[in-house]
Amino acid sequence: MSTLSDTDNLSRTLFGKTRRAVLSLLYSQVDDAFYLRQIVRAAGVGLGAVQRELKQLSDAGIIQRIVRGRQVYYQANPQCPVFAELKALVMKTVGIAAVIQAALAPLADRIRIAAIYGSIARSEEYRGSDVDLLIVGEATFAEIVSALHQAQSTINREINPTVYPPAEFRSKVAAGHHFLNAVLKEPVLFLVGDKRELARLAKKPLAH
Amino acid sequence: MSLQDWLKNRWLIEHQTSRQEISDLLSMADRDLAQCRTPHLSPDWQLNIAYNAALQAATAALAAAGYRAARDAHHYRVIQSLAHTIEADPALILQLDKFRKKRNITEYEQAGAVSEQEAIEMFALAKNLRDEVEKWLRSNHPELL
Repeated sequence: MSTLSDTDNLSRTLFGKTRRAVLSLLYSQVDDAFYLRQIVRAAGVGLGAVQRELKQLSDAGIIQRIVRGRQVYYQANPQCPVFAELKALVMKTVGIAAVIQAALAPLADRIRIAAIYGSIARSEEYRGSDVDLLIVGEATFAEIVSALHQAQSTINREINPTVYPPAEFRSKVAAGHHFLNAVLKEPVLFLVGDKRELARLAKKPLAH
Repeated sequence: MSLQDWLKNRWLIEHQTSRQEISDLLSMADRDLAQCRTPHLSPDWQLNIAYNAALQAATAALAAAGYRAARDAHHYRVIQSLAHTIEADPALILQLDKFRKKRNITEYEQAGAVSEQEAIEMFALAKNLRDEVEKWLRSNHPELL
């Protein structure tokens, strides 16, 4: 299982501090344009460093520079050939997925599977789409809701968890439960556990 | 922000309650708490009924405080008002509000996205809330019981 420090380390190694900050802002909210001052504030680095970074990223076509009247804005560039890959990379290393994974970390020993499904997992989300989260584990709905409370304001999206204890998950899947079987057929983004663990949980016979 | 401020924002309407109304609301909560344990109900329906019980209890507390929620965002306000009426634990309010959201989602978008475990938790929350409201009424508005 990957942990927060793993994903944090990934993005730190891949990108320098300023690039990481700029990409994480622009590529986690691809529908929004930001002006320089907003980016500087969010990045927490000097104005000069941010300006240099924005120029390099715009020159490379990774972000777009938009002039509206006397204001200049910067936004992720959907024409960039690696737009989708960068968006996924940001989501997994510093974006939504990383934030939720970190929020769930204190409950990790009682969560077997945590997976984002729905529009975000399918990359069909729009600005402000909720995050649909399937959890299989011994943790309760109340614990999950409390753990995710802060994360919702961090990512500026509501998180809607559905929590199944392992035994109930197994019996519902076996009984052909519509909701679960529909989710299992869709692309999901694993935060805890993986495809094999999910398959194992779905099939494992009840212990005698 | 106090309930007085909520009134100024038109989130609440002034309301004169009675012993009869409080008794009706608590009885409805009790009825729902009993009915959501009917065997063979689906988890989403159980959750719905238990949620309704919690909402009636919260409405009783708000009525005793002299208000009812305006139509707009009605359920949301009734739930949030628990911080001001019975001074409910923020975690309880958070959880109840997530159940509200879950109820909307299962009704409009994803039928069946409720586990048995969640329905049990909603029931426990509603039962606890109903008892807390009665306790609070006993200490703060004994004339209404």
